[in-house]
Amino acid sequence: MKAEYLNPFIEATNSVFRTMLNLEPVKKDLRLEGDLITSNDANVVLGVTGELEGTVIFGFPKKMTLDMVKEMSGMEMEDINSFVSSALGEVANIISGNAMTILHDEEIKCDIVPPRIFIGEYKSFAVEDEQPIVLTLGTDMGDFDLNLFLKEKV
Amino acid sequence: MWKERYEIGVKRIDEQHRELFQRVEEFLKATNDPNKDWDQKIEKVKETMNFMGEYVNYHFDDEEKLQEEMGYPNLIEHKEAHRKFKKGIEEYIEKLEADNYSEDLVQEFGGKIMTWLIMHVGDVDQKLGDYVTHEKEEH
Repeated sequence: MKAEYLNPFIEATNSVFRTMLNLEPVKKDLRLEGDLITSNDANVVLGVTGELEGTVIFGFPKKMTLDMVKEMSGMEMEDINSFVSSALGEVANIISGNAMTILHDEEIKCDIVPPRIFIGEYKSFAVEDEQPIVLTLGTDMGDFDLNLFLKEKV
Repeated sequence: MWKERYEIGVKRIDEQHRELFQRVEEFLKATNDPNKDWDQKIEKVKETMNFMGEYVNYHFDDEEKLQEEMGYPNLIEHKEAHRKFKKGIEEYIEKLEADNYSEDLVQEFGGKIMTWLIMHVGDVDQKLGDYVTHEKEEH
């Protein structure tokens, strides 16, 4: 997939993290993976349809997830319950929606499918001959991964 | 939940925002309280849904009135954000009633309303705040 598709997601992530969490994510690592696998504790999986098709996964460690929800709600949560999952999913949903708007401004029209949240390792082997890009972003609350596998619709 | 950086510099609008944050925070605390059983929590859920259904409309109308008075250039875009926000709440009011206030759906709503409120006041409304500040400096 083209690396340029990553930029709208980085831009949207930075903006939403600044607004919602008062955090400034920094790029720490960028790599290609064989399969779409994330071993993070909480993974938000969103589908992309339209002129680009594929999957976006935001993968967060448990502590970071709970710290993010604490920053937003003011509450100390011990576990990733339905409330925490929903909040995390909605943050990822807003980021992805904003990334779609940026892509739309660049004349690439696509939409997102509402998020699904997976607690624990998420694996998808349904990746053809192309490799997903995995970007690790660092924040004061911890590091998280943005997995992106998008291809142009033939 | 409320943070000073969410202020937009218009007293009555900031007070309404504080009220909304306060109500959502109370809702989240009540629904995540391990010492209460679900039946006790449902009362708070119903109270919050009644409040949100009315107060959000009142607040958005007031904010839009201010924008119209000021000739705010992003009025149409901002109204659209309000429309989507209200639709989101209305859909959950219906879903929660139909689902008899199940814990999973209530918690899902809690995660969403918190995120929507922070994003709306922390982002969309800040643009209005910037405009208000700019207009004050001009005159």
